Amino acid sequence: MNHRIQRAVLFTAASLCFVLTPCQTLGQELNAEAKSKEAVEARTKRNAQIFQNNASILTLLDRYGKPTGKVGERAMYEDAVLSPDGKRVAAIKDDLENESADLWVFDVGTGAVTRFTTSARTEFVTTPVWSPDGSRLVYPAMRKGQEAVYMRAANGQGSEELLYKNPGAFMDLTGWSADGRFLAFAISDIKGGSLYILPLEGGPERKTTEVLHSDLRVFRPRFSPDGRYLSYVVFDKAEKREVFVCPVDPAVHEGPWQISDGSLTSGYWVHGGKELYYVARDQAVMATEVTTSPSFSFSKPKVLFRQKDPVPSDLQNISSDGERFLVLPPARGQELQQLTIFDQGGKAVKKVGDPALYSLGAFSPEGNRLLVMKKDLDTGQEDLWVLAVDTAKATRITDDTRFKVTPLWSPDGKYIFYSALLDGDWPVYRKAADGAGKEELLFRHTPGAFVGLSDVSADGKFLVCDSGGVVMLVPLTGSDPAARKPIEYMRDEFDESTARISPDSRFIAYRSDEAKPERFEVYVRPFDATKPAPDEKKWQVSKDGVFGANTFFGFPSMLHWRADGKEILFRALELDSNDLVMMAADVETTPAVRVGTPKVLFRLAGPVNSSLGGVSRDGQRFVLPINVPVPPDKTAQPSGAK
Amino acid sequence: MIPKPRPSWFLLIVFAALLVSQAQAHHNMTAVFDFNDRVTFTGTLTAVDWRNPHTYFTVEVKGANGAIESWQSEGPAPSFFRIRDVGKADFEASVGKTVTVEVSRARDKSRFGLIRTFTLANGKVVSACPQNC
Repeated sequence: MNHRIQRAVLFTAASLCFVLTPCQTLGQELNAEAKSKEAVEARTKRNAQIFQNNASILTLLDRYGKPTGKVGERAMYEDAVLSPDGKRVAAIKDDLENESADLWVFDVGTGAVTRFTTSARTEFVTTPVWSPDGSRLVYPAMRKGQEAVYMRAANGQGSEELLYKNPGAFMDLTGWSADGRFLAFAISDIKGGSLYILPLEGGPERKTTEVLHSDLRVFRPRFSPDGRYLSYVVFDKAEKREVFVCPVDPAVHEGPWQISDGSLTSGYWVHGGKELYYVARDQAVMATEVTTSPSFSFSKPKVLFRQKDPVPSDLQNISSDGERFLVLPPARGQELQQLTIFDQGGKAVKKVGDPALYSLGAFSPEGNRLLVMKKDLDTGQEDLWVLAVDTAKATRITDDTRFKVTPLWSPDGKYIFYSALLDGDWPVYRKAADGAGKEELLFRHTPGAFVGLSDVSADGKFLVCDSGGVVMLVPLTGSDPAARKPIEYMRDEFDESTARISPDSRFIAYRSDEAKPERFEVYVRPFDATKPAPDEKKWQVSKDGVFGANTFFGFPSMLHWRADGKEILFRALELDSNDLVMMAADVETTPAVRVGTPKVLFRLAGPVNSSLGGVSRDGQRFVLPINVPVPPDKTAQPSGAK
Repeated sequence: MIPKPRPSWFLLIVFAALLVSQAQAHHNMTAVFDFNDRVTFTGTLTAVDWRNPHTYFTVEVKGANGAIESWQSEGPAPSFFRIRDVGKADFEASVGKTVTVEVSRARDKSRFGLIRTFTLANGKVVSACPQNC
């Protein structure tokens, strides 16, 4: 996952209490409930937060990484590409209000802007590609449920021409051969993908040719200038990306060749196909000398220049002369996170360690250690670590490129539980909290189905998991992970997640959108793990929404039973600002359940990421990764090899 | 440049595009369904299962030889429909009546498919694209 997406998840989507709601159905109107003034206002505020935390300005860098200009207004852009002469930029701009995305063209020199497409609500355009002579643009567009490729003159004049109707969806169209005869695109799903070429000659019945099929996901095919090879990027089963090159002609049994040793981007042919550029995992822009005749060969990649900003820019495109780099700088600038512990009044009482790229923090049961997710500034790799609160001594738990989510402490503090994306699936593991030994596979669910953890029973005998709006219990019986079967404990028409077992194991607190769509509240229900489903009785705890995305993001909202079971703490939904608002509600469960009115404990200026385990067992302390400017010792000017 | 088959606001909401549909769909859709094999059938809606992570609809269809064939179709999660102008009641109102369903057929060629469009008994067309396309 790229940095931008993860940042976005941390600071926007995760803060918006937005259920795992799929995109709007094309052509369908919202119903009266969704059209209500309250729902519309909430959506508008949500969009404003997304924009505030993610909008950026397209920026041009020279080959030494020095900014040379800006393009267009601040907005949410995707897939920006330079024209062959470098004088224009085509980019996809998101319209949050309309839930759509359209193609815009910007003149770098004059600042003139041309809107190319106007999508209906929930429809969108993706991946524009310039013709080799810069006179035309092609782009896939999703309209009325049908994805198709269209072509239009790059000056914005005339009508668009339908080139190809895709029987499926989500083409990744990024290549146009230098002779103008072929387009190249990729289609991948979670279990693999293919590269295709599409002839421009002929009519709407054009037939594609599969160039390559892989059991790994493939993206971003780009023709070499002589049209004989495609560069493309591969996501391996552990989410590591590499730049590859393969012949365009499937009958040529050569290659593919792996160019990179870890890459954040695809490969760009520059200098007439004599070099390939890409961005390595440490943000260095790499250059590889290549030849394509009589066959393909390449040299060891060298560093062209290195981005040293801890929060790097998102490379969008490289000019064919290798002189200009089009990037999207981080929307919030150069920020790291300082792990900070707060008391119940919101007063910072301790800082743990130095600022770094932290996204999660969770207290160990005894409160003297923190489980954190930290991104390495040099490799971009994100891993789980345990930090001692007093000394900040760090113990590595994981060391791999997989995307890890929903880490939890075992009740005895000896283990760390987590899910990790591997080959499209979400197996659940545990590893010793002192970092010793190998991770242990605990459970595998339906292939491709997300599994997030929300709790571990006090006796450690079962896990509480989220999957697709269903709360599952996974008994950790036997020694064979494959034999472990989940119990669908809460499964109905509402999205229910983040179930947390009370200290006496008699109740669960959980989130559900049953009261209002697009909005979660906290409820309490009786709990008995020996029964196949919970008692129907339930009590609503929160009144005005709770913060947090579905656990698919790996960042479920703070939801915590105080150790004595007499208070539930949660983070409130806050749409008027990015602030963190911490709430607490008194709870009585004996002799009968009574829930008090939630009260505000404290408010912190945001955006602030928070995680499920960020409250100490006694409910008195809160650990949060607070955004801070990058300290001077971590800031460096871009360095060039030339 | 990172592959992003959907606009960023989708990604903001559902994390990474290629994982999105699978995650929402709760399983690997393209492994189960062939998106190039579209089938349309018309028959009587006999059952609705309106629960996460997917909805399911059973339609009794008269086959070529006059025999009744039972087709199963899978739809998005209830939350997909919840904020739109169609809901559980709309589908339940069509039970016992004639509906038309366009699906991407299961790769095992069974009478099972992933819903692209569903035409209710009252003529209303419900689209599950692009999620299910």
